[in-house]
Amino acid sequence: MAWIETVVNGLLLGGLYGLIGIGLALVFGVMRVVDGAQGEFMVMAAFFAVIVLAAAPDLHPLIIFGLAILFSFCVGYVYQSWIVNRSMQSSDPLAPLLLTFGVSIILRSVMVEVFGADLRGLQLGSLSRASIAIFNINIGVMPLLTLATSIALFLLLQWMLKRTSFGRIIRATADRRDIVRLFGVKPDRVYACVMAMSVALSAIAGLFLAARASFTPFSGVERLLIAFEVVVLGGIGSFWGPLIGGLALGVTQLVGLKWDPNAGLLYCHLLFFIMILIRPSGLVASRS
Amino acid sequence: MTLLEVSGLNVFHGDLQAIFDLDLRVGEGEVVALVGANGAGKTTMMRALVGLIASKQGRIRFDGAEISAASAEDIARAGLCMVPEGRMLFDSLTVLENLMMGQVLRRRGYWTLERVFELFPILAERRSAMPRHLSGGQQQMVAIGRALICNPRLLLCDEISLGLAPLMVEQIYAAFAQIGKQGTALVLVEQDVKRASAAADRLYCLLKGRISLETAAGAVRVEDLTRAYFGA
Repeated sequence: MAWIETVVNGLLLGGLYGLIGIGLALVFGVMRVVDGAQGEFMVMAAFFAVIVLAAAPDLHPLIIFGLAILFSFCVGYVYQSWIVNRSMQSSDPLAPLLLTFGVSIILRSVMVEVFGADLRGLQLGSLSRASIAIFNINIGVMPLLTLATSIALFLLLQWMLKRTSFGRIIRATADRRDIVRLFGVKPDRVYACVMAMSVALSAIAGLFLAARASFTPFSGVERLLIAFEVVVLGGIGSFWGPLIGGLALGVTQLVGLKWDPNAGLLYCHLLFFIMILIRPSGLVASRS
Repeated sequence: MTLLEVSGLNVFHGDLQAIFDLDLRVGEGEVVALVGANGAGKTTMMRALVGLIASKQGRIRFDGAEISAASAEDIARAGLCMVPEGRMLFDSLTVLENLMMGQVLRRRGYWTLERVFELFPILAERRSAMPRHLSGGQQQMVAIGRALICNPRLLLCDEISLGLAPLMVEQIYAAFAQIGKQGTALVLVEQDVKRASAAADRLYCLLKGRISLETAAGAVRVEDLTRAYFGA
């Protein structure tokens, strides 16, 4: 029974991991750019929430989350239109990668400067500790909420990309960024919107992470590492890949920890390493 | 009435010049053929006209407005559209979704989804198919339909017949007759001189980036054209 509980908790954690990867996957899928700053954006959203919470302790957590997501959405739009679009004009695919990693280092340093290197946490009161029992398994309300949010966001994004006219424009731009211009579409603006969505999604992941465990300005690095592993493990270019990859990592981490309490993320990294060796295309085979 | 007037156009590919001092004119509703050998600069010329190549000098007037410095997006909005060489469909969009990309410009007119489906009934049948599952000719129909739904004043068609079966080319050129009836001006870029001059009012021949011949399409003399096409 204890093992089942571990697996269930692993799946719940995996939902969060999937959410960590989705922003990175979206940007890569549409622009073929690996965004090295996604980890910092997750941390930044959490700091934003901590500040708002300190300034207005009576605000409902949902409103604070909403503000942080809106803030991240705007940050993503500006980040893409002012910085990343510029580097995408270069014919060297390495240029945006280097640039975004540069941005991540600057953001990290600025956050240390402004907030200090202390551990912070996002206290959501009783919600953080609440749990319910299903079939004798104790399940935290917060992790359950996280997984539900994650799946809902995946579905929402899928619907937006497949069923709306804006989603159609995004897919067309991903296919041929020059030809869409013949139909009046400005690729730079599409990219800015996609980056805004991506940073907003990462912000949601960052907020859930911050509610779960404390963080510092340096936490972005490990978050980005998880995002990478989730995306590659799931299968680059596949839509549901990050969620599947996240679930696999979550279960691996908790089962590993139960078996070997000192392991930390070791088994996750091992799983990732082995998968790269035997199935580099990822768990979900890519269609494109 | 002149719809498109190009004068003294030079186009560059990095350090290389591809088009030299080119003059060209397309009247309202006119069908113009632009022929030339491989590498004569036809595609470069088309891409420069629609704004996909920005490094160019000279004047391009379309519908009374100077567009040589305009963005591809604004040129399309003005009604100068293109069926690009190699079809360039959106591979992850269905046939219907590809056609719907033509609606993004919101230029209303004769051409709608329904009219395109009337013109090419096979597309209605295959509307949910992915482009890679279509034959080359069907893909070309999607590319033409996608551009038509923009309701262009002038449609540039780059190498429409390239790589298609003769029967398919026949069908597609039959469609051009109908497209012309709606008052849409056409530029047909072809390597196949016979085909292009049969469909056109006027003909230009391009040789190494320069216009080597301009004539009424009915009055083409074989020896002139041979010289203009291959160089003497």
